[in-house]
Amino acid sequence: MIGWIRFWITAVLLVIGLISFATAVIGNYRFDYILNRVHAGGIGDTQALLFVVLALIVSCNSALDILKLILLVVFMWNTSPVSSHFLSQIAYYTDRELWDHVDRFKVRSHPETEHGQN
Amino acid sequence: MTLEAAYNLLYEGALIFLAILIGAMLIRSIMGPAVTDRVLAINMIGTLVIASIAILSLYIHENYLLDVGLIYTMISFVSVLVLTSVYIPSKIKRPEADNPAAKGTSRSKNARKTKENRKKRRAHK
Repeated sequence: MIGWIRFWITAVLLVIGLISFATAVIGNYRFDYILNRVHAGGIGDTQALLFVVLALIVSCNSALDILKLILLVVFMWNTSPVSSHFLSQIAYYTDRELWDHVDRFKVRSHPETEHGQN
Repeated sequence: MTLEAAYNLLYEGALIFLAILIGAMLIRSIMGPAVTDRVLAINMIGTLVIASIAILSLYIHENYLLDVGLIYTMISFVSVLVLTSVYIPSKIKRPEADNPAAKGTSRSKNARKTKENRKKRRAHK
């Protein structure tokens, strides 16, 4: 009986995680603006992986596996914001439209253009 | 239906679904118009592979696959870091570095420009 309760908790959490992954992938296709797509990828990195790992923590038996799964989430939550930051930074440097939007005062010219023309 | 068979069915369905999502992100990484879309798709593929490794380790009852998942997390982070550091310039290129002949004139022009910019910024404030 308790095994079936564990199974259903696992199933619900796993389905929530998979729906979050599907949201991230669909957002990557549907959003028009680049920073929205980076945000969708961040949801896949944090929320979806958290729910999948919670489902596996409920269903697995040994304590060492639970420790490793928690460590997986800790690593992912530390590294995902950094990679999102760097992705936004290359969007800033390669996307001319985003550069012009962010750099309102035209303090620095774009590296691809000749200097002094803005 | 026994409990073991139910768990196997659940994990198989989850793995098939994750494989479909990995295929979708692979298509995105091939056809993405900008560089950022491609690197973002690679980042998403890394996350999906980590989740499927964690599910697979419970599906076939092997503990060491979780260690593989931990290493994969670090390596996918480093790969995204390296791929992005290709496109981030370490410093903005200046014309003096390219042709030293035009050194004096362009520098004075630059100085005038920055002064104008400062004025503009102050006026905006």
